[in-house]
Amino acid sequence: MPDSTVAADRNVPYAIRAYAPERLIDALRKMYLIRRFEEGAEDSYTRGLIHGTMHLSIGQEASAVGACMALTDDDKITSTHRGHGHCVAKGADLGKMFAEFFGKETGYCRGRGGSMHIADVEKGNLGANGIVGGGIPIAVGAALSAKRLGTGAVTVCFFGDGANNEGAFHEALNMASIWKLPVIFVCENNRYGMSTSTERSTAVKSIADRAAAYSMPGERVDGNDFSAVTEAVDAAVARARNGEGPSLIENVTYRWRGHSKSDRNRYRTKEEIAQWQERDPIARMAAMLKEHGITDDEGIAALEKDVEQAVEEAIAFAKDSPVPRIEDATRDVHTPKVAA
Amino acid sequence: MNAQAGIDVREISYAQAIREAMDIALAEDDRVILMGEDIGVYGGAFQVTGDLVDKYGTDRVMDTPISELGGAGVAVGAALTGLRPIFEFQFSDFATLAMEQIVNQAAKVRYMLGGAVSVPVVMRFPAGSGTGAAAQHSQSLEAWLGHVPGLKVVQPATPEDAKGLLLAALDDPDPVMIFEHKLLYKMKGQVPSGRYTTPIGKAAVRREGSHLTIVATAIMVHKALEAAKALEDEGIEAEVIDLRTIRPLDRDTVLASVRKTGKLLCVYEAVKTLGIGAEVSAMVAESDAFDFLDAPIVRLGGAESPIPYNPELEKAVVPQVPDIIEAARGLAEGRV
Amino acid sequence: MPTEIIMPKVDMDMATGRIAAWHVEEGASVAKGDPIFDIETDKAAMEVEAPADGTLHHPVPEGTDVPIGAPVGWLYAEGEAVRAPPTEETPTQEVPANAPDGETETETPTAQPSAPSTETLAEQDKPRATPKARKLARDAGIDLATLDGTGPRGRIQAADVAVLEEEPGKLAAPAGFEQEAGPLSVIRSKGGTGTPVVLIHGFANEAAAWSPIEAHLSERPLIRIELPCHGKSPKRRLAGFADLVSDVRRASDDLDLQSAHLVGHSLGGAVALAIADTRASRVDSLTLIAPAGLGPDINGTLLDGIGRATRAESLGPWLRQLVADDSVITDRYVRAAMMARKDPALRAAQKAMADTLFPDGTQAFDLRPALGRIAMPARIIWGKRDAIIDWRHALAAPGPVALHLFDGLGHMPHMEAPDAIGQCIAATL
Repeated sequence: MPDSTVAADRNVPYAIRAYAPERLIDALRKMYLIRRFEEGAEDSYTRGLIHGTMHLSIGQEASAVGACMALTDDDKITSTHRGHGHCVAKGADLGKMFAEFFGKETGYCRGRGGSMHIADVEKGNLGANGIVGGGIPIAVGAALSAKRLGTGAVTVCFFGDGANNEGAFHEALNMASIWKLPVIFVCENNRYGMSTSTERSTAVKSIADRAAAYSMPGERVDGNDFSAVTEAVDAAVARARNGEGPSLIENVTYRWRGHSKSDRNRYRTKEEIAQWQERDPIARMAAMLKEHGITDDEGIAALEKDVEQAVEEAIAFAKDSPVPRIEDATRDVHTPKVAA
Repeated sequence: MNAQAGIDVREISYAQAIREAMDIALAEDDRVILMGEDIGVYGGAFQVTGDLVDKYGTDRVMDTPISELGGAGVAVGAALTGLRPIFEFQFSDFATLAMEQIVNQAAKVRYMLGGAVSVPVVMRFPAGSGTGAAAQHSQSLEAWLGHVPGLKVVQPATPEDAKGLLLAALDDPDPVMIFEHKLLYKMKGQVPSGRYTTPIGKAAVRREGSHLTIVATAIMVHKALEAAKALEDEGIEAEVIDLRTIRPLDRDTVLASVRKTGKLLCVYEAVKTLGIGAEVSAMVAESDAFDFLDAPIVRLGGAESPIPYNPELEKAVVPQVPDIIEAARGLAEGRV
Repeated sequence: MPTEIIMPKVDMDMATGRIAAWHVEEGASVAKGDPIFDIETDKAAMEVEAPADGTLHHPVPEGTDVPIGAPVGWLYAEGEAVRAPPTEETPTQEVPANAPDGETETETPTAQPSAPSTETLAEQDKPRATPKARKLARDAGIDLATLDGTGPRGRIQAADVAVLEEEPGKLAAPAGFEQEAGPLSVIRSKGGTGTPVVLIHGFANEAAAWSPIEAHLSERPLIRIELPCHGKSPKRRLAGFADLVSDVRRASDDLDLQSAHLVGHSLGGAVALAIADTRASRVDSLTLIAPAGLGPDINGTLLDGIGRATRAESLGPWLRQLVADDSVITDRYVRAAMMARKDPALRAAQKAMADTLFPDGTQAFDLRPALGRIAMPARIIWGKRDAIIDWRHALAAPGPVALHLFDGLGHMPHMEAPDAIGQCIAATL
């Protein structure tokens, strides 16, 4: 939740105006955590420590962290296959995340889900999802629960540009709108659904324009600008909490890495990637905080060092953790019966 | 049936029994909501929800848009976050539109999250042929869902079980899929008033017999009983088992019966190939009851065809009483 | 073409022979006239000579029972290509395993490509048996190859093994039964007053056959006695007719009746007459429907046919001969009758009974003297189209015995015309 709504100098970015310095530094720290976590995961993958594949969100950290700034642990998010950032942004423990990557019993899913299904229910993260668009109706259901049970919670529903062409997206947005549910649809448009660009896959120029079809506000923002993301999402969260219904926000961003580990980058140029790397959301966030005197180079260096250590510790925890017992392979299919 | 059953037993229809179960659930648990297409003022395509909307309002008896995938997903999300939704599909055939949410989400979320959550959603599917609704509104797809770990799949055959299994499904922390044969909705039967549950995963022996075991589901239970009655005059005593739940299967009841009779006839309306009959047969063949088989197992299922429109053709593609009599007789007399 | 070696008939009443041992191995040469295998029948063992010069192929394994005339192997001439044996003729009583749908191969051996015949033969040699039969045999240490299956395609079913278990001494016997102790089964009606009517059914029939006329008799208590080896009565090996009568008489004595009307059909009629003869004071009246014992001849073929039938299809034609209008014997009736006879032990017991009472199509007992002795009111009811016992036997009855002879009825008048027969009996009770 924003710490202050006092409208100060309009030239000062929204995030600086809305959030206390320690929240902003924590946000920067989370962005570093996401990046280092994913770099660590990539490194572990290279070393053969990780089974399967992974979808890295390096380059998209501002969208994940910015969209969660206004949320409490009671608020829910639904995430995507590219969900590490959302998970960290919602306050997840890195050790449990790495442990899940390593297929360990101490992981968030006790080694049953892996990278694509990491969830952290206690922090309100209902989980990443292996199905493009799979989480969107679920987010609407969570919002329905919140409304029906009167919890006042909102749900932020993350999805990518690819999902906006799924039927589930349209069905879910329509229902959220007719029932005025407290849900914020956050499309992270990283320009490609696997290899197919939004220009080739999507009839509208801006995915945010699709909000009009469901009679809800739609806004397109620079997804690599932390403050722009928070400004748009915070307004939508406020609307939702106010009972005014859902919103659609399109964070335009870019993934630096390939779609997954099998991506040979044949559909885009090195120049294009380099161009987007110049718009690194973390560097921009750090610059903004320095510009407004919230931190300095020394502070950032300490933060980075701290994050690197946290990642190292998390990896060590995961490596040292026990693997699940083979005989427990089917343990969690059904909820165990509790004696009445 | 558990002990909380009311003493009062009345004759009501299968549809009324389901409505009564939902009424009880809505009254006693604020978390229960009904969702589905035209279940409000219309009362549901088969008048199962009836006038519940008048009693509980549109917030709890929610008409959804024609969005099976989205609607099922909303129900899953709501179940994950504290509600107890009962989602009605207008026809079980429309499950095809929602398979993603049923199969990838509802069934798997708990497992994928290492047991961190449960998805207590109930989905109801009006199923089966016999109404002249042709190929896209007459299917029996329960085995599709029965193939998915994480789901429980039930097929009540009587009004009493329709109510008891729905209340049991609501008590269950995991997703329960209820397939209701459309021709049963108007069937009347003795139903206790008040709350009671019929255990999920427990078959019912509807008729005892020593010459062969007929394992049937849904409407086929009644056809099998009719056949068994006719066979009685010929000196053939068929044991008729109403499977009631197809996932998880009640191994004990089926195997005990086959050990006793040595002969097994499976009768189900769904397409024969890769259906519940295959599973029951394999279960017997894999078990110690195999040693008690004294004839090949026989399956009677639907034809390898979509359900046709013409009423005579429609009857011809699913097992009928004379088919069951003939098959049972052949088995009992050692001609198979 | 290879020369077929067949199972020769070496004994009068032999239907099958067993290959006791081969004198030559598969692939070995023999000269015409050399001893080639030994056969074994119930009565003898015998050496069989090679029908031609040649090399032996596809021999039926030792220990197999083979019907007379069926091939047991083939002799191939020098240089003749060895092909799969023809499968149209089954080498054993079982259909080969490679014809799962009951359709047998009709191609001649020359039309078939050279095939790994030993494998197919090995397949065929596996006895066809249900899992339950296999388990029973395994548990009892019985070799399935020694059993004859009564199921479809010769499949050995549990009952086929159960029979053996009961009579381990006669392993190769087609069916046997274990002697059972205990009194005969008696079925009493509910209700009715006055002197009871005791009903005794016929051979290979059942007590339920009385149902159609019972409506006419139901004012009185009705008591059905089941003959030994029938219904729920114990299976016994009877020494003769007297043994049978003493069994039934004991059952009727056990009823402890002051008086009774006795009604018997066919063999049951003969038994009723014998009881009336020895318990005259307690028999108020005697009704004999197409009774046995009043003449020498009986249709042995029909008795055999009924006795042998193992399924409705083979039972039906025989049952239809029992009546004048065969539409009375519906498919449903036949199936019910077969269900009642489906226990092979019961059929075996009845066969033994028939062999004792009706050897060679002859009634081995004569009750004409008894008919002359009785004094209570008696009547004989007969259908003139009876195909099993000639109605003219009735003419042996002395004057006081009433005769009711029906033109259009066969051996089962009480079933064929229950109203007429029921009223006929009830009128004089």
